[in-house]
Amino acid sequence: MAIEILQTDDQYVLNHCTKFLARDNKDPRHNFGQLSNDDPRSRIAENWRFPIIDSYSDGKDFVKSYSSNVVTFVYQQPGATPPTDVAVIGTFANLYEPIPLKPVNFVGEPTGYYALSIVVPKAQFHTYKFIVNGQAIIDPINPQRTQLDNGQLWSRFFTQLCTEPLNFEDWEFDIVTRLVDHILPFRTKEGENFLNRYYNFLGKQDKQVQYAYAYRLDESVGAANFIDNILAREENHHLIDYKICLGQINQILRKRNPYVEPKNVSKELYIDLYNEMATNQVNGWNYQQYQEPRFFLQLLRRHTFSGAFSHPKYGGNVGGTGWAYLSERYRDQNGKTLFDWRRAIEAPLGLNSDYRG
Amino acid sequence: MQTEFDVVIIGSGAGGSPIAYTLAKAGKSVLILEKGPLFRPQYQNPQGLSDFKRDELFADGPEKRIRIPGVANFNEAFYSSHVEPDINDEPHIYRDPNGQDRATIEGYTAQVVGGGTQLYGGVSLRFTPTDLRLQSFNAGRNDLKNDPNGDVQREARDWPVSYDELEPYYVKAEYLVGLNGTVDNQLKPFSKDSYQPPLEPNPISNYAKAGMDKLGEQLGAGKPIKPYRTPLAVITRDHEPSGRKVPKDPETLKTSYVNRFGCPLGVKSSTWVSLLSPIASLPNFEIRTNCVVTHLESEGSKVSRVVYRDPSGKTRFVQGKLVIVACSAIESIRLLKLSAQLSSEFNKRINQNDLLGKYFLTHCFGGASALMPTRSDKTLALDADWATDACATDDFLKSRGLWAGGAVYNNTSDQALPISLGRTHGSRDLDTLWKGFIEDTSLAAQGLTDFLDNNIGRGLSVSFMANQVPLKTNRIELHPTIQDKWGRPVAHIIKQWHSHDRYLMDTLAEMCGQILKLGGNTIPGEFKFEFQGQGGVYLAENALARIANHILGGARFGNDRNDSVLDRNCKAWDFDNLYVTDGSFMPTSGGANPTLTIQANSFRVADELLKRL
Repeated sequence: MAIEILQTDDQYVLNHCTKFLARDNKDPRHNFGQLSNDDPRSRIAENWRFPIIDSYSDGKDFVKSYSSNVVTFVYQQPGATPPTDVAVIGTFANLYEPIPLKPVNFVGEPTGYYALSIVVPKAQFHTYKFIVNGQAIIDPINPQRTQLDNGQLWSRFFTQLCTEPLNFEDWEFDIVTRLVDHILPFRTKEGENFLNRYYNFLGKQDKQVQYAYAYRLDESVGAANFIDNILAREENHHLIDYKICLGQINQILRKRNPYVEPKNVSKELYIDLYNEMATNQVNGWNYQQYQEPRFFLQLLRRHTFSGAFSHPKYGGNVGGTGWAYLSERYRDQNGKTLFDWRRAIEAPLGLNSDYRG
Repeated sequence: MQTEFDVVIIGSGAGGSPIAYTLAKAGKSVLILEKGPLFRPQYQNPQGLSDFKRDELFADGPEKRIRIPGVANFNEAFYSSHVEPDINDEPHIYRDPNGQDRATIEGYTAQVVGGGTQLYGGVSLRFTPTDLRLQSFNAGRNDLKNDPNGDVQREARDWPVSYDELEPYYVKAEYLVGLNGTVDNQLKPFSKDSYQPPLEPNPISNYAKAGMDKLGEQLGAGKPIKPYRTPLAVITRDHEPSGRKVPKDPETLKTSYVNRFGCPLGVKSSTWVSLLSPIASLPNFEIRTNCVVTHLESEGSKVSRVVYRDPSGKTRFVQGKLVIVACSAIESIRLLKLSAQLSSEFNKRINQNDLLGKYFLTHCFGGASALMPTRSDKTLALDADWATDACATDDFLKSRGLWAGGAVYNNTSDQALPISLGRTHGSRDLDTLWKGFIEDTSLAAQGLTDFLDNNIGRGLSVSFMANQVPLKTNRIELHPTIQDKWGRPVAHIIKQWHSHDRYLMDTLAEMCGQILKLGGNTIPGEFKFEFQGQGGVYLAENALARIANHILGGARFGNDRNDSVLDRNCKAWDFDNLYVTDGSFMPTSGGANPTLTIQANSFRVADELLKRL
């Protein structure tokens, strides 16, 4: 499996890792509940940023390049003694071929950081390990880890537009999607009309470019997928909230309508549940297990809104659907849109010919 | 690795870059030490991609939680831009009304080459001549409102530099930085118009203009005070001094990804693209990024070494014949105080009086907002379109019993994008982002549709930016217990609003409200004009934290060594080679956004430094 290695300069690596890795502190100030306080990663700011996932361009064909990301692995030597060699193996390449990381220098002097940048297609997830002094180790910085079928623990990363389920079981996805549907405007009559028109009228090429990764697209415009992504990485500390609350919601819905799967129960049941959660008074809720259903609702609302309207690279707002909804809904008397999102956004997603993303 | 330079500058923002530009161009060896990374626009990166993105989650990222032991807001959520510090690593602590300490993201600009000028909206107004002589202006007045103890007359200070002295440097900054706007109708004297032409204003701003016109007629007393296009640090034409080019159709630059966003095309005039890029290839200029200065060391009256941590955390030092501290007021004060803590000699000199950290200033700010009768595409906008000096004339101040005035301008691109609308709904500061939205659970399904219908393209706000009364009790200290990620005491912000500040904010908020009411029905539309409210920041829930990222004072300059920290050229009185040139030099905060004045003053100081090297 050929892998493209990029020659990123040291400045690039230092720009993206110094703020997070350079420190003396011993306080676990970056543990919001997702780690134990004695885990070294609880002292590292935004450890989820590693490996670094960035836009890619070959410098020639920006639209073609748009389907890939640059992934930069960073290893930081733990002590004063530099390792003899640092490499990475992973599912993005041949597992039997370690790819060496290079020392990163500052004004010609070693920093103790080692880095490697490779090109990885979007919408993928991979497992990897570092090989340090001949020993395979999981990434000491990246919090994402996954257990393989053989019981081995590997580090994991995913690129932009990832639609692989990362945290949720199917039934959890179903409930999140139904909740998200209630929050977003797309399940109103006008919203549904828009979605039907929008997808039906998309040209074939648009569908290929914008929706190549969109098999999870539904009326929630990918917001449920966004939530799955953000819980796997940036806001992993809230995964536990979802796990507990989705379990409870599942039980409550089954009690309220024992003959129908929660994903298929009536809209009214979800509306009732939403309103009860908003007042913190949910009939059948186990408060000993989770004190504030309202808190979970607030979390879900922020994630949902972000997922529907953030840049599609984060896994929601697929193809700019959320933006397109606003674009179509708000027009002047001559039919000209009053939310012209495409004008500022890079091609192929938008129409801006100066900005490349 | 070179360790000796003519000039070592700490910080690459508005206070440091003009000095680097001037001295490097004159052939002096210049080093900038910058805590943040070097993020480049597209045209500077070999692969043609920018490090800044038009991406709302770059402006305010995922949720993090405050986990600093001992603060009252432990475990509360916060959100920061990708170039703002993580407050768990480098908190600012302020004292709330109950006397409890809280961590805040307010008061930081940005940790990146270019500093705050990477994220700012770019509003680049000059201060008025009166702004620089508020002691003289208020002397002998007995009409000042809400100042029972005479604080204004006791604490107001004239700047040691007059408007006439600063004016050529305003011209220089306006030209070299690269602004667009109009001079006509500004009430400040201009010897030269260096502005590039503004872009077409957004239609929603017509309401603001109409309101400003009418207010200007009322306040002008026979000589109407007309609005002008807000000067913005965004180029609209190719910019010869920095070599920057604009797209074929400059109108496409109106995107709303301006305020709180780094500019991927480099048309927002950050100090990196405007002042440092043009000198970046000079052999006598170097910038070391991702390096945090921990303290200064001195021998006698000279700062002998600047000690810093390199990107790996290793301690290093450099020496400069001249040392310029310009890392934004709070952090500059902190750096000087930390240095004083480590050395009795340094302490004796920097604290030759008790003023270091005192008279910390931000701005009196606030405004009014309303929903307009017509919908506009607010995504096609820069940060502001129209401004007026109607609330800064001497006549206006005297008629209202105000010690000082302020600029008034409309915000055009605020809340134009859906996520910025959501996260600022009901919370207009950096510590309470998302709070209003998540708590307003009625915003779902049809409720969310109604919210979007009401707000997208219809919201218009008019803001004021005005002088705050200097108080000695408003100060920056080192926190006794809380430390940053390097084990250094963090900045402790202790401030309050004076009763005259509150009166001034009420008065100017009323003017902003008048603008919206007077202009709000000038263009008939399909909706009803809905006035939403007005007020000053002192009314906010966390009013004591609010800083607007205008971080000023704490090391004021002056002509009297007993009454200032710095002399008129921003040199610390008892040091031969230590200068402070960010906003901390200001004895009063001025009636406008401060960046342009910081830049102009730095160009002025740079000319003085040239005489010394």
